[in-house]
Amino acid sequence: MKYSGCAVNKERHFSCEDCNGNVSGGFDASVSQIVLCQNNIRNQAHMSRVVTHELVHAFDHCRAHVDWFTNVRHLACSEVRAANLSGDCSLVNEIFRLHFGFKQHHQTCVRDRAILSILAVRNISKEVAQKAVDEVFESCFNDHEPFGRIPHNKTYARHAHRDFQNRDRYYANI
Amino acid sequence: MTSQSSLVPLPINHEVAGGSGSSSDMADGGGWRPPRPCEAYRAEWELCCSAGHFLRHYYVHGERPACGQWRRDLASCREWEERRSAEAQRSLCESERARVRAAQKHGLVWTPRQSPPADWHLPLPQDKDS
Repeated sequence: MKYSGCAVNKERHFSCEDCNGNVSGGFDASVSQIVLCQNNIRNQAHMSRVVTHELVHAFDHCRAHVDWFTNVRHLACSEVRAANLSGDCSLVNEIFRLHFGFKQHHQTCVRDRAILSILAVRNISKEVAQKAVDEVFESCFNDHEPFGRIPHNKTYARHAHRDFQNRDRYYANI
Repeated sequence: MTSQSSLVPLPINHEVAGGSGSSSDMADGGGWRPPRPCEAYRAEWELCCSAGHFLRHYYVHGERPACGQWRRDLASCREWEERRSAEAQRSLCESERARVRAAQKHGLVWTPRQSPPADWHLPLPQDKDS
């Protein structure tokens, strides 16, 4: 985030609030702030996943002209990326949700959760949300910025961080 | 599935141009060096070959991962380190450029910014509880 010009300040860019329903968090683009739902986040692992998810939105807000409020495709793209890169759709999390599948199931989960996230913040039909996800899925599912890969666990995250630290050498020598 | 993952993060507004870059990132004396340390190619190859990665890749993509390119890149890196092989340099550059092209082949949904949002560092509005 800092490298992209959006250094994160905990007091400015995070807010812990009580939320309605079972929403875990959100990104308020109107004030560039991540909201963490303190009444719905269950444990540290859940917190880490929610923070990562919302930081993906914040990163997209920082690096691109995302029309959060009137362009459903833009919203769909960021939700696909957040579901894909945050750990939301890990095999363990899906099993806890009683969603059983293995081969390529990650992508099914990303699609479904992106649609759910869109419906949670936009008053549109499921069909409209699904169409938007379908239109942007190939591009946005394969956009792994800023990690360069899906950070499944700390090992992948360490690899990604090493690549980030090496970026100047990389682009100077290809 | 080609080894298009593990792409080094692209900086904002960076354009990939073969051979360009600051001299400070080249080897001493302004010469070329492998885009990644050889140890990085070895680590990527080992990760790719691991059982855990096989399972995760299959869960995500529905097919087994292809790790051969990491092995070839490791061999090229070592060849360059030992003999300064021009062929090894060419092979490494082409391999990494192919990774960059693979990552960039999907069109963008949105327009990249030239600068961060204007309000990112501004204080919260007065009516927003902090």
